[in-house]
Amino acid sequence: MLGELLNPYYLQVLCFILINIMLALSIYVPLSSGQLSLGSAGFMGIGAYTSALLTIHYELPLYVTILVGALLAGVIGIIVGIPSLRLTGVYLAIATLGFGEVIRVLFVNWESLTKGSVGLTGIPQLGRELLKFAKSIGIEPSALGLKNNQFVYLSLVIVLLIIVLFILWFVIRQQNSRIGRAYSSIQMDEKAAESMGINITYYKVLAFAQGAFIAGLAGALFAHTIGYISPSDFSYHRAVEILIFTVFGGSEVIIGSVFGATILTLLPEVLRFVSDYRYIFYGIMLVILMAVRPQGILDLYLFYRLKGKRIKRGTS
Amino acid sequence: MLIEQLINGITLGSIYAIVALGFTLVFGVLGIINMAHGEIFMVGAFIGVLTTSVLGWPLWLAFLASIVVTSLLGYLLEIFSLRPLRGKKGVSHLAPLISTIGVSIFLENLSHHMFGAGNKPFRTAFAEIRFEIGSITIYLVQITIFVISVILMVGLSVWLSKTKAGKALRATAENLETASILGVDTKKIITLTVIIASGMGGIAGILVGMAFNSVSPQMGLSMGLKGLAIIILGGMGNVKGAMVGGLILGLSETLLVAYGDSGYRDAIAFIMIILILLIRPQGIFGSKTAEGR
Repeated sequence: MLGELLNPYYLQVLCFILINIMLALSIYVPLSSGQLSLGSAGFMGIGAYTSALLTIHYELPLYVTILVGALLAGVIGIIVGIPSLRLTGVYLAIATLGFGEVIRVLFVNWESLTKGSVGLTGIPQLGRELLKFAKSIGIEPSALGLKNNQFVYLSLVIVLLIIVLFILWFVIRQQNSRIGRAYSSIQMDEKAAESMGINITYYKVLAFAQGAFIAGLAGALFAHTIGYISPSDFSYHRAVEILIFTVFGGSEVIIGSVFGATILTLLPEVLRFVSDYRYIFYGIMLVILMAVRPQGILDLYLFYRLKGKRIKRGTS
Repeated sequence: MLIEQLINGITLGSIYAIVALGFTLVFGVLGIINMAHGEIFMVGAFIGVLTTSVLGWPLWLAFLASIVVTSLLGYLLEIFSLRPLRGKKGVSHLAPLISTIGVSIFLENLSHHMFGAGNKPFRTAFAEIRFEIGSITIYLVQITIFVISVILMVGLSVWLSKTKAGKALRATAENLETASILGVDTKKIITLTVIIASGMGGIAGILVGMAFNSVSPQMGLSMGLKGLAIIILGGMGNVKGAMVGGLILGLSETLLVAYGDSGYRDAIAFIMIILILLIRPQGIFGSKTAEGR
């Protein structure tokens, strides 16, 4: 029964949904401080390549390399974030898009390290490492009624879910803290925020670096989920895809990123019946959505209304 | 050798300049980045292939067909993806970006479907005609491209500075509301801008087909990204900046390929904009108020 439900294909789609939620959050966090950063694909690539190379060449444990990958992306986020402070709006968007493209070209050309456009293969997979670990402490998948590859994917989903929930918890907590209020005041009006004594430089770079860290973490987990990466995984298309997750779901509320990433990861899978035409539909859908709901599917107003209705029902 | 490279660079640069002009016109008037411009350019190139190689039409007719089709695409783009977003309350600057990205995804996959994924050859009758001056070889194609782009750029500049419609367009770019109060039909001007920008994209598409002899559905993307880099380099919404920026990029790419590492060719545009954004964020010709958009 359980064995039939846990189809590896469904579990893999679930893994990608969770990774994409992280990526959508990596755009949401800088955006909540008014910075539109399209560098997520580049930071994701940094995290992925760092972690993959460390595991392949030095055979370090995965939790170390994934963390190193994310931290490196975060540090580069600080380095890129400081000069980017001079830019706003569309300028920042194009400059960060350019940063991502430079990173990708670097991966293609630095052949001695990255094997060029062929990409890295044989990256240790997180799920298999978890299986090994489980076996070493005496848990056999068959004892739980699972096949080996079901256990691999199931454990992966659980680990990713924990990480995503932790990031969500962190971002939501942060929104209601001093930092989060500083972010939203910068988003509303930078000059007013500055005159209220908010250190704009610090908070903007912090938001940018947090986005880079989350993207790097997602990239490292991505590399250890599919076990194969190449520069084309971190191209312009990926950057745009991540942006669409956030804007589609609604960029004003955090749940919008989660919703957008979930729906838009599922959509191409669901649209498989129109196989060749699915990206044509995808394009049309984006145009229609922006014409009908330019703020994204979910927004604050919707939540207020839902809450209002609930209160009414409660009192009557 | 150097002079030949310079000629190659100028040819490439003038094509870049025309692509960038399309971006800059739309940005100047509407304040948005038209992410679908690269794909409109690509469709223009495919119309060129279709009319010259498959139907065997002469080149001038191919130009005409390409301009008609891309202008029509520009009109449809304006109607379906830009106009619905205008004047609505609470529309962030992200919305037109996503909407035009939607159009670009649609166009790229549609042409992928219609024309196939691979490169299509672009044959012109005079592809092999060349002149030799001393040790320098110049192809007729290069001269044609250069002449057409100069005519286009001069024509556009004159049109913008001298004619009534051009002045109306500049007024709209300056301030939409004031222009509208002063009796400019801004709705018509905006539509006209998008149509002209797209038509220029179509011309650039055929020129690229002529210059490189190959056309593919993916070419719109890299050209679009480079066009974006150029308008940042030259200054957003600045016509002169787009032309100079295009030439700078074309020359530096060609020289890099000839004397440096060709692998980094696609990165040079972005390294340049990252540098220019740090030194002079408003671009080479941009005005001081480069903020807020």
